[in-house]
Amino acid sequence: MKNLAVFIVLIFGLTFIATAQKVENKVVCFKSDMDCANCEKTLTEHLKFEKGVKDLKVDHVSNTILIGYKDGKNTDDGFVKAIEKKGYKAEKISKADYDKVLKETAEKSNVHEAEIHKVRK
Amino acid sequence: MRKLIFIIYIILPFISNAQNLQGVVFGNEEDGKTTLPGVNIYWQGTNRGVVSTDEGTFEIKKGNNQHMLVFSFVGYETKVVHVDNLDKLEVVLEPNLEIEEVTVVKKDRGTYLSAMETIHTERIGSAELHKAACCNLAESFETNPSVDISYSDAVTGAKQIRLLGLDGIYSQLQIENLPDLRGLATTFGLTYIPGPWMESIQVSKGASSVVGGYESIAGQINAEIKKPDSGEKLFLNAYANHHGRLEFNANTSLKVYKDMLSTGILVHASGLGIRNDDNGDGFLDDPLSKQLQISNRWKFTNYKGFMIQAGINILTEDRLGGQVGFEEGMAQSVSNPYGISIKNNRVTGFMKSGIVSQDQRTALAILTNFTGHKTNSFYGLTNYDASETRFYGSLILTRDLDKNAVHTLNAGVSFIHDNFSESLYNINLDRVENVPGVFAEYTLKPVENMTLMAGIRADSHNMFGTFVTPRMHFRYKINDHLTLRANAGKGYRTANIVTENNYLLAGYRKLQWHDKNMQEEAWNYGVSLVQDYILWGRELQINTEFFKTDFHSQLVVDRESSAEFVILSPLSGKSYANSLQLDVRYQPIERFDVLLAYRLSDTKHTIGGELKELPLNSRYKGLLNLNYSTNLKKWMFNYTIQFNGGGRIPRHYEEGQNLTDISGSFYAFQPYTVMNAQVTRYFRYWNVYLGSENITNFKQPNPIEGAYNPFNHGFDASNIWGPVVGRKVYLGVRFLLNYN
Repeated sequence: MKNLAVFIVLIFGLTFIATAQKVENKVVCFKSDMDCANCEKTLTEHLKFEKGVKDLKVDHVSNTILIGYKDGKNTDDGFVKAIEKKGYKAEKISKADYDKVLKETAEKSNVHEAEIHKVRK
Repeated sequence: MRKLIFIIYIILPFISNAQNLQGVVFGNEEDGKTTLPGVNIYWQGTNRGVVSTDEGTFEIKKGNNQHMLVFSFVGYETKVVHVDNLDKLEVVLEPNLEIEEVTVVKKDRGTYLSAMETIHTERIGSAELHKAACCNLAESFETNPSVDISYSDAVTGAKQIRLLGLDGIYSQLQIENLPDLRGLATTFGLTYIPGPWMESIQVSKGASSVVGGYESIAGQINAEIKKPDSGEKLFLNAYANHHGRLEFNANTSLKVYKDMLSTGILVHASGLGIRNDDNGDGFLDDPLSKQLQISNRWKFTNYKGFMIQAGINILTEDRLGGQVGFEEGMAQSVSNPYGISIKNNRVTGFMKSGIVSQDQRTALAILTNFTGHKTNSFYGLTNYDASETRFYGSLILTRDLDKNAVHTLNAGVSFIHDNFSESLYNINLDRVENVPGVFAEYTLKPVENMTLMAGIRADSHNMFGTFVTPRMHFRYKINDHLTLRANAGKGYRTANIVTENNYLLAGYRKLQWHDKNMQEEAWNYGVSLVQDYILWGRELQINTEFFKTDFHSQLVVDRESSAEFVILSPLSGKSYANSLQLDVRYQPIERFDVLLAYRLSDTKHTIGGELKELPLNSRYKGLLNLNYSTNLKKWMFNYTIQFNGGGRIPRHYEEGQNLTDISGSFYAFQPYTVMNAQVTRYFRYWNVYLGSENITNFKQPNPIEGAYNPFNHGFDASNIWGPVVGRKVYLGVRFLLNYN
């Protein structure tokens, strides 16, 4: 039973460290040209193992990419190259623009889904 | 420089031989076909695609190697079309009735219970198989609440599973929906499927569909092997544990002709070359072993409704156990150490083919497999040799009786040929089974929420006559939160008197049987309720189930009535198994999955005229499984703790035995706990995992009775209720290279 307690503390400790370390030094956002879920997956799997990556959001619906990374480990241009290497466009945009695009897409898809529901009914 | 790039850019389309493919996309609505604008159209595996115009038309460049065109649109089923010429394409997308099912990126959830399936089924995906070492099929259930896995005995390394509190023989094992790992493979078969070969496992409880045969009394376990067209170019895996066990796996797949014909080769080599005797009883804890396996499989599909898959698998396995001093080649004699040697050679082949009609409403499938298996073994002075040749074939016709698939009929014929030849104590046990059968199964799906499946089959057995197997399944999704399932069905199987119980040969007592051949028969009933809720933004799943199995005839292993024999006789009296299980799955914080499960088993059968608890079976099992992955899933942590209840030990009370010996722990074992943990680190092409099984190093005390006198009265290595091997620390690495 004691072993169990130690282990649980250890697990939670690790969890805490893992979450606590999530301090992003730098964030870079891109507009891209993905067509499908497949592209999103390819890019996610590729970018998450680039140097310094701490946070990553790839979305093919809004065609945006957000990368949080440790400063000094990589550069914005490094990511441009990584994205282009896989054959995608990487147009740097500001965080504000990124948020805006995401918001617009979310609204649009809500309308779209509502329409589908209407058609069905 | 810039000019050059420009020129290349201009001529590139010509030299790469790309041509334009045109077409129109429609949606299939109730009032007929309508053109669909905005559909995503792209070549599978590429990142380039187009979107259909307002009139539903599209134009896309087609390269020489591009054949698979994907059409995806919210609210419609994604469709993949095979294209090999430039003819104008007309594609009709079917609406997807369940909008919420359209997940853009498939999230791998490890194990889950589907709300759609008619039969209560647990699906174990590749994510789950990464949570533990999962060296083979047997070890894949360590994080699973429903299937128990334990050692059969303390000397051969054989593992057995239990489902619904019943021995693994009452669950039908399948590989890709073909019955397998039976007959001579019963004892060691679970270690014949290497973990890295598997794509997924499905565990369904209760008598399953009649299409799969008359077996499967407690349930069905199906393992899907990696397909040659899955896109896995090269997969390598190496594993080592601190007891000296080494494993190596390599898979590769290749497209032979366009996207239509592909082949895969899977290789497995494993072994234990170090003699371990941690508990100091003079016997090896795990036998020395070598296993080699090679498998080659082919898949052909024309993307117009025809598909064929075939493959062959060759296995050779060698086990050498017993007392530490026993060496290969030593004579079987009381003057030498007690030795156990088991050699298995096995060839299996399969062929599956299916054809679907133009209107998608009729399908015809052929499923066949073949097994040739030879076992040569000895346990001390006892020799056991056996061979088996088995053929299975089934022809299934599926037809949707109306356009909306409210009524579906599955019907067909099957044939089993099983030729056994065994020899034990100089007695020959030969048997040939020939079983032709017919079956029909009707599925009624009046609304999306409800399915009723009723099946019946009749089989004509050359030894046991004709028998009928009725089975029924019902699913009703009461609302978004509740799914109710119920089933009832009958099952039969031929008991393999010696093969299934050959681990009992690791003892002084001889096996004694009444009938050479017998058939077991049981009814199984079950009901389950799956509840799905969203709690604080995350999915909460609660599953409650109760299953009852009632035996009408059964082979009962009596290890307690005689000092000289283990008696294998037909059941006279009652035999049943009740299993009540509750499991809860939740994610309290992001990426942290918790599974909590508890099961109560009440399994009793009549031994020597008395209704007794099934021996060596825990009365309850609790399981807590925690899984955490870091953001971006570069690290994964897994922890499992199993609380196993106590149970009964079958022992023969002998005259003159000291009464102090038989108090307390003589006839019963106490609850015990087993803990496993693993850490996995993912890199772009490979991942490393480090873990430990049985962290607390709990071992059953004295697993071998009479270990110091193995050729004499009292020696028994088969009274196993807990772990024989203590803490194990292992390290493994996987390397994966995908196409594109």
